[in-house]
This record gives sequence, C-alpha cells and structure tokens, in this order.
Amino acid sequence: MRKWQLLIAAVFLLAALFVPLFGLTDYTLQILFRVFLFAALGLAWNLVGGYAGQLSLGHAAYFGVGAYGLALFSKLGISPWAAVLLGVVLAMICAAMIGSVSFRLRGPYFALCTIAFAEVLRLVAKNLPNVTGGDVGVQVPLLFAHSPVRSFYWSVVLLTAFALGLSAWIERSRFGYYLMAIREDQDTALSVGVNAARCKLWALLISAAITGLGGALYASMFLFIVPDQVLPMEISTEIAIVAMLGGAGTLIGPLVGSVLLESAAEIFKNVFKEANLLIYGVLIIVVVLFMPEGIVGTFTRKLALFKKAPAVPFAAPVPATIEAESERAALNE
Amino acid sequence: MVNWFYIPLQGIINGLLTGALYALIGMGMALIFGVMRIVNFAHGAFLMMGMYATYVVFQATGVSPYYEFPLAGILLFFVGYATYMGLLRPIRGQVDFMVILLTMGLALVLTDGAQLVFGADYHQINIPLLSRNIHLGSQISINAPWLVSFAIAMALAGALYWVVTHTMFGRAARAIAQNPYAAPLMGINVNRVQAVAFGIGSAAAGISGALLLPVFYLFPEVGNQFKLKSFVMVVLGGMGSIQGAAIAGLVLGVVESLTSLYWGNEWALAVDFVLFILVLSLKPSGIFGSQRA
Amino acid sequence: MSLLEVKRVSKRFGGLKAINDVSFSVKPSEVTFIVGPNGAGKTTLFNLITSIFHVDSGSINFDGRDITHLTPNGAAQIGIGRTFQLVKPLRNLTVLENVMLGAFLRTSSRAKAEKEATKVLSFLQMEKVMHLPARGMGLPTLKRLEIARALATQPKLILLDEVVAGLPTSEAIKLAMLLKRLPEWGISTIGGIEHVMQVVMRVADRVIVLDHGTLIAEGVPQDVVHRPEVIEAYLGSKYKEIAL
Repeated sequence: MRKWQLLIAAVFLLAALFVPLFGLTDYTLQILFRVFLFAALGLAWNLVGGYAGQLSLGHAAYFGVGAYGLALFSKLGISPWAAVLLGVVLAMICAAMIGSVSFRLRGPYFALCTIAFAEVLRLVAKNLPNVTGGDVGVQVPLLFAHSPVRSFYWSVVLLTAFALGLSAWIERSRFGYYLMAIREDQDTALSVGVNAARCKLWALLISAAITGLGGALYASMFLFIVPDQVLPMEISTEIAIVAMLGGAGTLIGPLVGSVLLESAAEIFKNVFKEANLLIYGVLIIVVVLFMPEGIVGTFTRKLALFKKAPAVPFAAPVPATIEAESERAALNE
Repeated sequence: MVNWFYIPLQGIINGLLTGALYALIGMGMALIFGVMRIVNFAHGAFLMMGMYATYVVFQATGVSPYYEFPLAGILLFFVGYATYMGLLRPIRGQVDFMVILLTMGLALVLTDGAQLVFGADYHQINIPLLSRNIHLGSQISINAPWLVSFAIAMALAGALYWVVTHTMFGRAARAIAQNPYAAPLMGINVNRVQAVAFGIGSAAAGISGALLLPVFYLFPEVGNQFKLKSFVMVVLGGMGSIQGAAIAGLVLGVVESLTSLYWGNEWALAVDFVLFILVLSLKPSGIFGSQRA
Repeated sequence: MSLLEVKRVSKRFGGLKAINDVSFSVKPSEVTFIVGPNGAGKTTLFNLITSIFHVDSGSINFDGRDITHLTPNGAAQIGIGRTFQLVKPLRNLTVLENVMLGAFLRTSSRAKAEKEATKVLSFLQMEKVMHLPARGMGLPTLKRLEIARALATQPKLILLDEVVAGLPTSEAIKLAMLLKRLPEWGISTIGGIEHVMQVVMRVADRVIVLDHGTLIAEGVPQDVVHRPEVIEAYLGSKYKEIAL
C-alpha cells in the first residue's frame, strides 16, 4: 500500500515538473505554486502532527520566521541564499524553544500553547516597526532572477519531493516507529525506553526547517511581507487542515489534501465569489463527518476491506472471570 | 502625588469591568471544555452571532441590548445544542483534531455567512446610556454601559456557577468531566448532558456578544480575538474549571488594561499570550487546577 | 550480589502513605513475587523502581548504580522492563510491530528488530498471531504481548504487574510455566500479584508480602503463606487450604 502511494506521488511530482513547459499563465503557475507550497508545508507538519500525533496549530511561527529571516538578514547585507539558511536555522531555534515548553503538555493544551507562541511572534512583528517594519512591511530579495515564476514553482515542487522522500524514510525507520508509538500511547513508549521528549523535539526541528524554507520561498515570491500575511493563525490552520483532511499520519495525505483543497479553494473563489469561504467551511465539515481519517486514510482503510480475511478469527476467548470482561471492555473503547 | 494611585486604579477598575465580560465568555468555553474536552473554535463565531442577532433586533425595535440579551442566549443555546447533536456527536470517537477541525469549519461557515448577510463593514449602535458616566470622587470615572454589562455578566456567571454546583444537570456534567467512562454507567444520559452543556456554553458566548454590542464595533471577524482570549482563560483557570475561568477572565481584563495604560493597546493581546505561556510552563494545571494537564 | 536493592523507600500521595519504609533486594536470574491485597502498593512500588514517580525518601540501586532519580525511559534503557496492569497495546500496529517497538531499544535496524521480536514471540508461543493487528486480540494474547514487548528490550530485570489477573486458571498456569524459564535467559523477574496463589507457589523462588505499603513478610513461598500475619492481611478463605 505504501509503495503504491510513493509511486503515485513520485510520478505525479515528476509530471508536475514539466507543467510550466505547457505555456501556462503566470497566474495559474502562482496558484500551482500555492498548491505545492502547502503540500510541502503539510508534509512537514505531518511529521509532528500526523506521525507523532502532536496537533500543532502554530506552524505559522516557523513559516514567518523563515520569511522574516530572509528579509531581515538580507537587509543587514547578507546574501539572499545565506539569509535563507539563517532564516531556517532561526526557525529551528524557535522550534527548540517552543517545543521545550509545549511538549510537556498533552492534547489540546499542546495545541493551545503552539497557538500562543505563534501569536506572540506575530504581535512582536507587528509592534516592533523599527526591527521588522511593523504593519508597513519589509522588502524581500528575489531569489531567482531568471524566469522567477517558473523557478519558484519548481522550487516548491522540489521541496515537496524532498519532504515526501524524508517522510517515507522516517516512516520506515526506528525514529518513525518511535513517533508513532508516542502518538498511540506515550507511557507505553516510555516504558520501552523511548526518549519521548527528544523524539518529539527532533520531529519538530525537521518540520520547522522545511516550513521555514517554505516561508522564505513564499516571501521571496511576493517580494514584500507584512506580519498578518506570514504569521497569522490562518496560515497555521491552513497547513493543519491540508494535512488532516488529506490524512494525518499517512504518507501522501498532505499532498492529496493540498492538491484537492487548494484547487477547491481556487475554484470556489471563482464560482462562489463572496461565498467561497462559506462553501470551503462546508467542505471541511463534510470531509470531517464522512472521512474522519482524512481522504487517504479512509481510502486505504476501505481498500483493505477488499483484501482476504485473515485465517485466524478475531474472536476473543471466553473469559473466566469478571475482571477479564471489564478489562476487555476498558480496552475496547 | 495623587496620579500614581488613581491612574492605575482607573486602569484596574476598567480592567475588572471588561474582565467580567471576558469571564462570561471564558466560563462558557470552560464548561464545554470541561465536560467534553472539546476546544471549540466556533466559540468566537457564536459570540458574533449573538452580537448580530441583538443588532438586528435593536435596529427593528430600538430595545436596548441590556434587555434583549436573553434572546441572544436562547438563540445560541439552540444553535449550540443543534451543533452538538448534529455535527459533534457523530464524530465523538474521532481524534481530538478532527473535532477541532470541524469547529473550525463551522466558524468559517458562520463568519462568512455573516459577511454575506451583513456585509464586511463595521457597525455600531448608539444608546443613550453610552454618554452617561458615573464618577467616584473626582478621579475615577466609569462608563455606564460597562457597569451594566459588568452587573449582568457577574450575575450570569454566578447563576452558571450555581447551576453547575446545585442542579442535577450540573452534577451530571461534573461527573462526565471527571470520568466519562463511569458516568453513563451511573445512568447519566451523556449525549443529552453534553448537548445541554454545549448549548449553555454557546449561550454564554451569545449573551456576551449582546452585552458587547453597545461598546464595541460589530463586524464578521469580531469573535476571533475573544475566541483566543477564551482559550487563554480556560488554561489559566485550569482543567476546565468554571470558577477558574471566571477569575482568569477578571485577571485578564486587569492585565490587559494596565498593559494598555503603560505600554499601549497593541501589546495587550501579546501580554495575554505571554501570561498563557508562563502559566503553562510553570503550572500547567492552571492557577486553580490541581491535576496534571 | 544483588541486582536490585530497594532501601528504606517511602512514598506518600497527599495524606496517604502508599509505601512505608520498604526494603528488599532481588538477585539476578531469580523469580520474586510481591503479593498483597489490592491497594497494598505493588504498582506504586513498580512505579518507583521505574521512576514514573519519585521516592520521598530511601534509595534504589540497580546493578550497582543508583537509580533513585531516573526517567521512565531511562529505566528501560539500563535494563528494567515493565508491563502494566491495564494492558496498553499499540492498537493500530500488528502484534509483531508492537513487540518490535521494544526491540528497537537495542538496535536501530528494522530487520534486526523484527528478528528479535520474532524470537521473543516464539518463546511466548505467539507465532500464529504475529501479523494480526493488536486491536482485535483477546486478553490472554494481550497479556503475552505486554510481556513480549518488555522482553524485547533485553532487560536484566522485568517487572510484571498483575500479569495473570483476569486470565482463566489454565492460561495463568501456562503463562507461569513460561515465566519460570526466564531465569534461563538471565532475566530476573519481579511479579506483582494479588491473589492467584497457584502461580506464585509454582513459580516463585521468593515471595515478599506487602500490606498497606508495609513489608510484612519475606521468604520462600511455602514458608511465607503460612505466617499468621500474612493470612490475617488477606483475611480470605481462599487461602485456607494452603494454610492447612
């Protein structure tokens, strides 16, 4: 199943590289840029939110830090690509700080904490105009002088491919196993020696790096950024939505999610005009109600039902004592 | 010599007045979170709905929001109840995030819906009370509407607390909050109690919207900031504790007010979050909580 | 030469003194059972040894090192394995994958982890269910899964909390016979058990009796179960036939 996912995705991404050669308008390429940007961001989020099961609603922090890193370090005279690197490093440092506080919390508390950190960063960016330009904004250098729109498009397709490859590798490794164990039952994972804090942190560092890189690319394409563009909660939620609706914890879920949701959003804008967000909201509700494991998750589960039933039946043995019954009842929710 | 005392005092008083409203919003969220562990991202949208509903009735009848607020409460109770029964109950077993995602989708629908119906412009209303100020001595002045909303909010907060501690519903709700597996075994109709809790929590948001109408601008995204503040209150208050959230609301109001006074408005929200992060790092169970987060 | 030395350990939760000045030691390749009525403190003791809680006073030494203040994952890393009373399988993984989680502690290679997990599952006679999802398994399988996962971490000491509770007697005895072989693998076992004395009598080299957090008896099984203070602690007619 996994191999198929990887194959389909690889073919898709390869095909995507050829798309600009078909004479598409810059406008269309920009939409596709967004599709693949959020695919990459969703895949990065998936490491923490999907595999490790830690619902981060503050990924805009890393996106924004990457964006502002490029802008502000360039202003200091550093060459653009070096500034990108520094921005990514800065995003990872933020991740280390945010993670060290947030990962001590579980479930919804973790999510709320990530929201808080991202909001603080946004407000700091808004309220320190001498440093960040505040709401007026700051200029961002152009990373690709030669046919920029195509180059940005290719860069995010490559970023998506990288994120996908990384996810595939992590999924099969011990690290990936540990993340999934932490997601399923952190106490059990601890009891077999998993250093949960360290694993979660590493997942977040990698996730933040890719997200920061995405932020820098996005900022450079627009040549100008303001805090409410790269640091708002809307970006965090869009990233999370793309990954969750596509299928958190699956390999290509975020890619599928981004392709479908970003295209849908664009179509809705043209068809429904002012009502486009309302329809988008309805779409989210419908997907959650009918495909609660996400599109890819539900799909793989339905597909598995078509496989042959296992030889040994699932029937549980007759319990000899009431304790067994209650323990099993407790197990079965 | 007198200003170093009176200026912060005014700030604290203003903070308490705003804080009472925050407390009402926060208690609604705390009730929902406590009983269902749902972080309701549509809470702000419910506040917005209450605000628009009151606006419409005010425009039609001229009756002051301070008399109309029960309508907002009733409307949002049913909206909340229906939301739980229709949208949230079917996915109760799913992962936390999917539930949060659904409330996010709902918020989007409600907010964009409001924009379609009412437009994106800012509205405000004018009632005679707005120009009345009450003076305590020569240094402290209180804007009358805030005093009225303070009184109503505190009364409702008290009523909510009483319901939670003295009624069968309240006891059932607390039982579910403590042990969602044992509660149904005690004969509690979990779905109904949770739906009612969601309804009451949403009603609190709606009523807060009504109370906010005279003193705040009305626009589709108005609920956003209050949603974020209610998250902060729930955490500060600890583990979905209603009293905790109420006190957290007052604290938040005062902290914001003093921050605005000395550092400017723009830092008020930031300070909320810094406080939030500090409490989460030092005492994750909240200022008033006693269990692990 | 002791493997584990628990010295004058106490722990209180609020007003309740859960563990009161308990001291004992466990030798390598030995099977020890801690018995006591419900609430005696067996699980708390296990939690203290694996640093899920920290002691209020006293010390714990393992293999010569002081492990009084460790982390739960640290305990596993130095060679203390543990099962839980309420089984916690990773539901969405197969039985084999569950056990591989334990094996990954000692190797980062997936292939090696799979091999080690398979070996452990064979020892526990679970080959037939290896590739089935943990979700659908019955209690006896899940109990063995818990043990398998802990064994895969190659522990020197394994703590089994209520390992046979809820199992039909025949199952319990079968499992007990398997556990009796653990010392051959160089693993020392401490089992915590409430009342399934048939298992204890057959398998244990030593028995420690806890009552309300206090150690009230220690010794060879046949000897300990006859002591009046032990029988009194239980106050159950279940043990009359053993006492006579």
